[in-house]
Amino acid sequence: MRGIFLFSACVCIIAVAMICIFLFANGIPFFRKFSLWSFLTGQQWSPLREIFGIMPMIIGSFYITIGAVLLASPIGILTAVFMTYFSNEGINRFMKPSVALLAGIPSVVYGFFGMMLLVPLTKDLLNLSSGKCVLVASVLLAIMVLPTIIQTSAAALSAVPSNYYEGSLALGATHEYSVLHVMIPAARPGILSGVVLGIGRAIGETTAVIMVAGNQARMPQGITKGIRTLTVNIMMEMGYAADVHRDSLIATGVVLFVIVLCINSIFSYINRRRVIQ
Amino acid sequence: MKKHVALIMAMIMMLTVGLGLAFNADSEIVVVSREEGSGTRGAFVEITGVEVDKVDNTTLDAEIQNATSQVLVSVAGNEVAIGYISLAALNETVKALKVDGFEANSENIIAGDYPVARPFNVVTKADADLSEAAADFLAFILSKEGQAVITENDAIAVDADAPAYEAKDVEGKVVVGGSTSVEPVMGKLAEAYKALNPKVEIEIQGGGSSTGVNQALEGTFDIGMASRNLKDSEVEKGAKNTVIAMDGIAVIVNPENTIEDVSLEQLRQIFTGEVKTWAELGK
Repeated sequence: MRGIFLFSACVCIIAVAMICIFLFANGIPFFRKFSLWSFLTGQQWSPLREIFGIMPMIIGSFYITIGAVLLASPIGILTAVFMTYFSNEGINRFMKPSVALLAGIPSVVYGFFGMMLLVPLTKDLLNLSSGKCVLVASVLLAIMVLPTIIQTSAAALSAVPSNYYEGSLALGATHEYSVLHVMIPAARPGILSGVVLGIGRAIGETTAVIMVAGNQARMPQGITKGIRTLTVNIMMEMGYAADVHRDSLIATGVVLFVIVLCINSIFSYINRRRVIQ
Repeated sequence: MKKHVALIMAMIMMLTVGLGLAFNADSEIVVVSREEGSGTRGAFVEITGVEVDKVDNTTLDAEIQNATSQVLVSVAGNEVAIGYISLAALNETVKALKVDGFEANSENIIAGDYPVARPFNVVTKADADLSEAAADFLAFILSKEGQAVITENDAIAVDADAPAYEAKDVEGKVVVGGSTSVEPVMGKLAEAYKALNPKVEIEIQGGGSSTGVNQALEGTFDIGMASRNLKDSEVEKGAKNTVIAMDGIAVIVNPENTIEDVSLEQLRQIFTGEVKTWAELGK
């Protein structure tokens, strides 16, 4: 019986190990021909002429991820606070499934929503020539990472022992004051890890972004101009890429993998600190 | 509750549909292109002269989409956009521009009038004898069945009244190689041929049009593939081409756009970013 459990656990580990081996085994040879430094800092991407610089895509990824998290964090955290301390059974019975549903919508549906609604709306409201831009991508990603932030923050808030709250009230603080100055600080590591998880989700999103970001492989020109992210770069060109071009896309994947690894390390560092506290 | 949500959604949709779909010539041109490596992009930049000395000068401001359907949606949703797609994918959500005065349709392409098109050639050595299997495969490509396969795969058949093909029970091996644009169609042709002639083995290699012609001359390929016309130097060396299909590219704009006609030179200016607004183009 123990064997079955062990086998199930191994499947997951093996999958991770195989992906790592595949990525690095296929990605490293590329760096024998092209220097890692020029790959990371090059500002031009012309794969057919063998000019590989993914700086625009790295910045692009960070650009829309930061935008998304800046938009989603306050909304998400305040929603979690509302659901935990200011809501009632009736509202929560409606809210919780709604948030869960938001998390379950496939990204292509988000992309479609962005492309058909947000893109033309932004184009008209801001009087742009094209609505496919950093702003729309960030807003769309913000909606997509909201459930992650809400659910993690709500869990963190509920996990704060209720005697903190009661103690605060006993000292004469109001409900609002107790929530803002006692409960939220106490739940901070949990909330923070929710935000980091959100960053992870945002930086890895592809399908929805490809549909609304314009996908220009050039340095960012402002939030109302298009952009290409690392994930989009891989997905966009994989179809017809051959030889070195294909290797360069796998190398892009390696860079993305390392970035996500860093984000996850930050996440587990925050989590560990929370356990110690 | 549900009714209200539905009502609000409907209002937002009407708002977006109703807003600003009027074409304004002073507006910036939004160029929609395909990703690097796409065959359609390769052909388009070559024909329009956006590509000079193997350097693709497509403006960096161009929106990039990685599928024909995405280009269609982008252009259909933006009244100042321009893009290009394979002619076979053209539909009524967008308007195809005339290029150099000729409408984009099969007749004009076969007649050689519509310029944003290219031939799919098979190349053989003029004075060499083709193997029985290679000759039979060529006959199949130019038959009614072969041309039907071509039409199914988004290329334009060159011979509408081609004769029917009859399997002759040949055997052997045929090596076909060259243009990667012709490769997918050739793959389908080989598949259909092998279904009728199980004893023939067909090997298909890529390498590009020039490789296709050179290797056909050297004899490495029984049949070369080229998605361009032969150069004089190649014809002098004894290369003989047979057009098996045409590949057309439609230049598309939003139906709201008032422009009907562009020249190849104007397309080059638009796609390299030399011309930035529709008004400039008119001058």
